[in-house]
Amino acid sequence: MSANTPIIEVNDLQKTFVTGHTGLLGGHRTEIHAVDGVNLTIKQGEIVALVGESGCGKSTLALTLMGLEQPTGGQVLFQGNDVTYADKKTSRALRRQIQMIFQDPYESLNPVMTIGEIVAEPLVVHKLVKSRADRDAKVKQALESAGLKPAEQYMSRYPHELSGGQRQRVIIAGALILNPILLLADEPVSMLDVSIRAEILNLLADLRNTQGISMLYITHDLSTVAYIADRIAVMYLGRIVEIGASRDILENPQHPYTKALLSVVPVPNPRLRSTHTILEGETPNPVDLPPYCRFYSRCPMAQEQCKDVDPHLKPVADSHEVACIRIETKA
Amino acid sequence: MGTRLFTIWKRLRRSPMGLVGAFMLLSAIIVAIFAAQIAPYDPDEVVRVTIMDIYVIPNAEHPFGTDDAGKDVLTNFIYGARVSLIVGFFASFIAVGIGGTLGIVAGYMGGRVESVIMRFTDIMLVIPDLPLAVVLVALTKPSLTNIILVIGLLGWTGTARLVRSQTLSVKQRKFVVRAKAIGASDFHIIRRHILPSVLPLMVANTVLVISLAILNESVLAFIGLGDPTTLSWGQMLNFAFSRGAMSAGAWWAMLVPGLGIVWVVLACTLLGHGIEQVLNPRIEKHYLNKDQQLSRFEASSTPVTPVTISVEDTPQIDREVLLDVRGLSISYVSGNKPPARAVEDVSFTLHKGETLGLVGESGCGKSTLMLSLMRLLPPDGRITQGEVLFNGHDLLKLDEKQLNGLRWKDISMIFQGAMNAMNPVRSVGDQIAEAILLHTPITEPKELNARVDELLDLVGISPKRREDFPFQYSGGMRQRAMIAMALACDPQIVIADEPTTALDVMIQAQILDLLMSLKERLGLSIIFVTHDLGVIAELCDSVLVMYGGMMAEYATVDKIFNAPEHPYTQELLRAFPDISNFTQKLTAIPGYPPRLDALPAGCRFAPRCPKVFDKCHTHVPPLYTVNAQQHAGCHLLEVE
Repeated sequence: MSANTPIIEVNDLQKTFVTGHTGLLGGHRTEIHAVDGVNLTIKQGEIVALVGESGCGKSTLALTLMGLEQPTGGQVLFQGNDVTYADKKTSRALRRQIQMIFQDPYESLNPVMTIGEIVAEPLVVHKLVKSRADRDAKVKQALESAGLKPAEQYMSRYPHELSGGQRQRVIIAGALILNPILLLADEPVSMLDVSIRAEILNLLADLRNTQGISMLYITHDLSTVAYIADRIAVMYLGRIVEIGASRDILENPQHPYTKALLSVVPVPNPRLRSTHTILEGETPNPVDLPPYCRFYSRCPMAQEQCKDVDPHLKPVADSHEVACIRIETKA
Repeated sequence: MGTRLFTIWKRLRRSPMGLVGAFMLLSAIIVAIFAAQIAPYDPDEVVRVTIMDIYVIPNAEHPFGTDDAGKDVLTNFIYGARVSLIVGFFASFIAVGIGGTLGIVAGYMGGRVESVIMRFTDIMLVIPDLPLAVVLVALTKPSLTNIILVIGLLGWTGTARLVRSQTLSVKQRKFVVRAKAIGASDFHIIRRHILPSVLPLMVANTVLVISLAILNESVLAFIGLGDPTTLSWGQMLNFAFSRGAMSAGAWWAMLVPGLGIVWVVLACTLLGHGIEQVLNPRIEKHYLNKDQQLSRFEASSTPVTPVTISVEDTPQIDREVLLDVRGLSISYVSGNKPPARAVEDVSFTLHKGETLGLVGESGCGKSTLMLSLMRLLPPDGRITQGEVLFNGHDLLKLDEKQLNGLRWKDISMIFQGAMNAMNPVRSVGDQIAEAILLHTPITEPKELNARVDELLDLVGISPKRREDFPFQYSGGMRQRAMIAMALACDPQIVIADEPTTALDVMIQAQILDLLMSLKERLGLSIIFVTHDLGVIAELCDSVLVMYGGMMAEYATVDKIFNAPEHPYTQELLRAFPDISNFTQKLTAIPGYPPRLDALPAGCRFAPRCPKVFDKCHTHVPPLYTVNAQQHAGCHLLEVE
C-alpha cells in the first residue's frame, strides 16, 4: 500500500434488501434500494461527513463497510485490498481495523458489565488478551485516549454511574482499544445534551489530529458537520448527490437538495432569521426509484429535461462534485 | 454473574414481601437439612405398636400426635420436608434449565429454529401436565428420581416463553448490536450479554417453579403415585387419607403436612414476587459522579429571595397577559428519600400571541414546569409554592372539574414522539373527533366530520387520510395530526413539548413553519419547550433559560442571543453549533447538571460556572432585573 492509497474506497456500492413473503397463493416481493451506486473514498487522517435524512441509506452504507451487511453489488477496497465479499475470517480481521461508534450511549453499553469489561471486550472477542496485566494496561490506555482520566477511577464502575458524555467516551475507548485506522461514527452526539456535544466532537477531532485516525461521520445535523469534517457528502435516496470540501459545500452549495437542507438548519441567532426552502412531503421510500433524477419529485428547480437523464456526480470545481444536470460542470 | 445475584439480594432487602418469603423458605430448608438433629424420634426406628399408639392426639410426648402406624407426625413432617424440597428444587432446576435454554435459543436465533421451538412449547402448554405426569409416573416406576424427572420435564413451558420474550427484547438492545460490530460470535454474545440479562428473571422464575413442583409432587403422592419408600408431605397426606385418619378424627395427621405445603408454596410465591418487584427498571437517575461532593440543599440556610416580575418588567408590555406564573415551586416526594426540587421559584408571563421558548438541558425541570401548568403532574409531584394565573384565575385553586373544563379547551399540548401519544388501534380522524367532543358537543356526524376535515386541512393533511391509522402516517404527518388534535377546541395557549426532536431537519422545518403560520392565523400563544437553541432563535419572542430547576435567565430572544448576562446562557451558546459561524471553536460546559435530590447549597450552576466566586457556593442568587427586557439569576449582577 502506497502512502496515497485511500484507507477505504467504495466503487458503485449497492445494497438492496428484498422484503415481502412467499405465501401459499403467491407472495409479493419488494426491493428496497438502500444504497444504490455510491462512490466514496476516505484518505488517511481524513474526516468525511455523510449527511442525509433518515432513510437515505447512510446507516446501511456504514453497516456494509463494517461487514455487518453483505453488499449486493459494487466493490469495497480497504487499504487497497478488495474486501467486498470477504469470508467470515477475513471479515472479522477486517473489522478489527474498522470500528463503529454508536448513536445511543445509554443503550449501547451492557448495564451489567463494568467499564473495564466493556472496553476490554473487543480484545477478548478477538483473542488478543495475553495476560490480565496486559489487558488492564491496554484498557487504561484506551480510556485515557478517550479522555477518561485517571482511567483507574472508571474501570470498576458500571455504566449507570456515568453521565451521557462519559458513556460516549467509554464507547469511543472500546473502539480505540483495537487501534483502528477507520472509525464510523453514526450520529455520535445526537442523543447527548447540548452542553456536552462539543466535548465529544472535539475529542473525535483530536483523535484524528494526534493518532491520524480516519473517520466517516454520519449525521443528519448539518450544523455540527462544519466543526469536524474535511469533506461533506450529501446523500439522497441511496446515492451521493453532492460531495466536496466542507467550506465549499457550506458556503457554496450547488445541488438544490443541499441548498434546501442548508436553508432549514436553525441558526442560533435571531438576527439571521431567513426564509427556508422547504421541500414538500417527505423522502420517498427507496422502493421504485425512477429511471431519471431521483430528486425530481421534490426539486424546486425541476424541469422537463430532468426526466430524461439519471444524473451522476460531475466535477464543478476542484474536488467538488454535483449530480444535477442544471448545474454547469467544469469542462 | 455472582455479583448479579448479590445485587438481587441487596435489592431484595428493600422488599418486605420478598424478605418474608426468603425467611420462610430458608426456615424450611434449615428444617430439611438438620432433620436428624431436630426430629424428636428416628423415623426408621422399628417399634412395637399397639392400638393405643395409633392416631394419638397431640400431647407432650408427640406434639403433633401420631399417625396410623403410631409414628410421630412431627418426625415424619420434618423428614418429609427433605423429600418435598428435594423434589421441588431438582425438578425446578431441570424445568428452568430446559425452558431457559430453549427460550434463549429460540429468542436469539429467531426464524425457523424459533418457530419449531415455540410451536413445540405451545403443544406442551396445551397438554395438561398433571394427567400426563400421572400417566408417565404410572408407566415408569414411581421412584423419587422418576418423579423429579417427570415434573421437571413437564414444567418448562412457562419458563421458555418468559425467557424467549426477554431474550427478544435484550437482543434488540444496542449493546448487542455493538458486540456484533466488534466481531463477537453468537456464543460470546449469548454468554456475555444475553444470559446476564435474563438470569435475574430466571432466578425469580425458578423460585415460582419450585412451588409448582412441590404442589405437583404432593398431588402425585396423594393419588398414590409417590415413591412408597420415601415419605414426602404428599405421601403423608395420602397415607392419612387412605388409612382412615378422617374417620378417626385425627385432623393433625392431615393438617400438619398440609400446612407444610402451604408454608413452602407461600414462601416461594412471596420470594418470587419480591425478586420480580426489585428487578423492575428503576426510574431514578444514577449518573452522578461518585467523587463529586454534593451537599444536601438546606432550605433554611439559604433563603431564596422571592422575585415578583410585574407585567411592566416583562419583554412584551403592550399586549394582554394570558398566563402569569409567580414564584412556582414543585418537588417530587417519594418515600423517605429527600424531595427532588424539580422547579424552584419560577416566574414568567405569557402574552396573547407571544411565543415563549423554554430551554434547558435534560433534568432542568422544563417538562415538570409545563405539566404543572395543566396540573398533570405525576402523583408524587407537589406544587409547594406559587400561583399560576390564567386570565386572572389561579389554576392551582381550581378543583378537578373546573380544571377539566380548562384543559385542552384553553390550554392544550403537543407532545414529543407522536407515535406514543396516539392510540394505535383507532383512526386518526376518530382521535381528532374525540378531542373535539371533549368540549364541543357536536351530535351531527356530518358536522363532526366536517370539523375534523377542517382541522386536517389546517395542518396540511388531506382529509382523504381521515380514516387512516397512525401507523399508516409518516412521522411528520403524525406530528401534524397531533397539532390538529391540540387545536381541536380552539385553545388560547398551546404548549409544544419538544415537538420536533425526533424528526429530520426538513420535517422539523415543515412543522415549525406550520406552527408559525397557525400562530399568525389563529392568534395563538405558544410555549415552546426545547433544548435546541437554533429552534428558539428561529421562532420565539422571549426565552426562559432554566438550569437545575431554577430560572437562569429570562429575556427577549434578541437579548438572550446577543447580550446574554447569565454565565450559563453564555456557555450554552458557546457549546451550540452555529452553521453561520462555524470557524469559532465549540467549547463544552465541563461537568453535568446537578441531581435534583442533591442540589448544591448555593447557585446550582456554581460547580460548572467559569466565573464562579466564593458567594456562589453559599448563597442562591436572586433574579436580578438587568433592564426591562432581561432578568438573570447570577451574583455577578449584584454590584451593577
